[in-house]
Amino acid sequence: MRMMFGDPSFRRGFRDSILIFFAVGAFGVAYGVLAVDVGFSPMLALFSSVVIISGAAQFAMIGLLAAGPLPVLVAVTGLGLRHLPMSATLARLIGPQPLRTRLRLAFVLVDETYGLSVRAANAGVEDLVAYKTAADLTLYSGWLIGTGIGAWFGTTIDPDAVGIGVLFGLLFLGLAAPMINRRRDWIVVVASVAATLIATLTLPPAWQVTVAATAAALVGAAAGE
Amino acid sequence: MSDLVLVLVVAVITYLTRVAFLIRPRPVPGGAVGRFLDVFPLALFVAIATVGLATHEGTPAVTPGLAAAFGGILGGVLFRRSLVGILAVGAALFYLVRAIVG
Repeated sequence: MRMMFGDPSFRRGFRDSILIFFAVGAFGVAYGVLAVDVGFSPMLALFSSVVIISGAAQFAMIGLLAAGPLPVLVAVTGLGLRHLPMSATLARLIGPQPLRTRLRLAFVLVDETYGLSVRAANAGVEDLVAYKTAADLTLYSGWLIGTGIGAWFGTTIDPDAVGIGVLFGLLFLGLAAPMINRRRDWIVVVASVAATLIATLTLPPAWQVTVAATAAALVGAAAGE
Repeated sequence: MSDLVLVLVVAVITYLTRVAFLIRPRPVPGGAVGRFLDVFPLALFVAIATVGLATHEGTPAVTPGLAAAFGGILGGVLFRRSLVGILAVGAALFYLVRAIVG
C-alpha cells in the first residue's frame, strides 16, 4: 500500500474521486441523521457504515427497520444482486491478482468507485488496482466522515434542502456519458430510462434499479456488437 | 434480532455479493454473457441517474431534477462529457430552476 502513494494511477484515482468524496460525504450525513432518527445509537450508525459501505443497502435497512429483519434482508439481497455483474466485470478489468488484493477491492465495490474504475479502464489507466484503491479510500473516508457528522451533529442539517438525490443522479449521468459511443450504447440508454420509469411504477424500490438495469443490459446484449 | 446483529448480517450479505466473481479468477465470459457484462455498467448508471433526476418519492415526476438532467446533458455537450462539466452545469440549472419555481 505504501508503494502505491507514488504511483501515477493512484494519484489519478485520488484526483478523480475528490468530487465523489464530497457527494458521498453529503449522502453519509443524510444516512447518519436518518439512522439515529430510527433508533440507532450514533456509534451503531457509524459502525454500520464501517462494515457495510453501501448507501443503497443502508438506507433500505433503516427504511425497513420497523417492518422487521426479513424485509430488510430481502431488500438488501435484492440490492446486492447488482454487485454480481459489477464483480464479474471488475475481475475482468483487473486481470490476475493476489487473493488478498481481490478481497480488498471487493470490500468497497460500490457504484461510484466501480464507475470510476470502468471509466479509468476505458481511458487506459495503467494500474487499475492502484487507481481503484485510491478511489476506495477516498470514498470510504467520505462515507465514514459524513455518517459521523450526521449521527452526532445531524439534527441541524436538512439533506433535502441540498438536493442530494439530484446531485447523485447527475454524478451517475456524468459516469455514464463517456460510455456512450456506439449505436448499441444508445439503445441501452433508451432501454434503461424506459425500464426504470416502468419499474418505478410497478416494482418495490428495492428492485427497481436492479431489474431495470438488467432488462436494459439484456436488450443491449441482444442488439449485438 | 438485535440491531447490531442485523447490521452484521447485512454487511455479510453485501460483501458476499461483491466478492462473488472476485474470490476466484474465472474465464472471461464471451458471447451474449460478455456483451451483457459490457453494457451492464451503462445500463446501471443510467437507471440510477433516472431515479435521481426523473422521479420524486418513487414515481416519475416533473421536478427541478429534470432541469438538472437537461443541464447535465448540456454540460456534457459543452465540456466534452467531462464529469465536472456535467455536474457543474446540471447543478447550476437545478438550483436556478428550484429557486424560481420553489
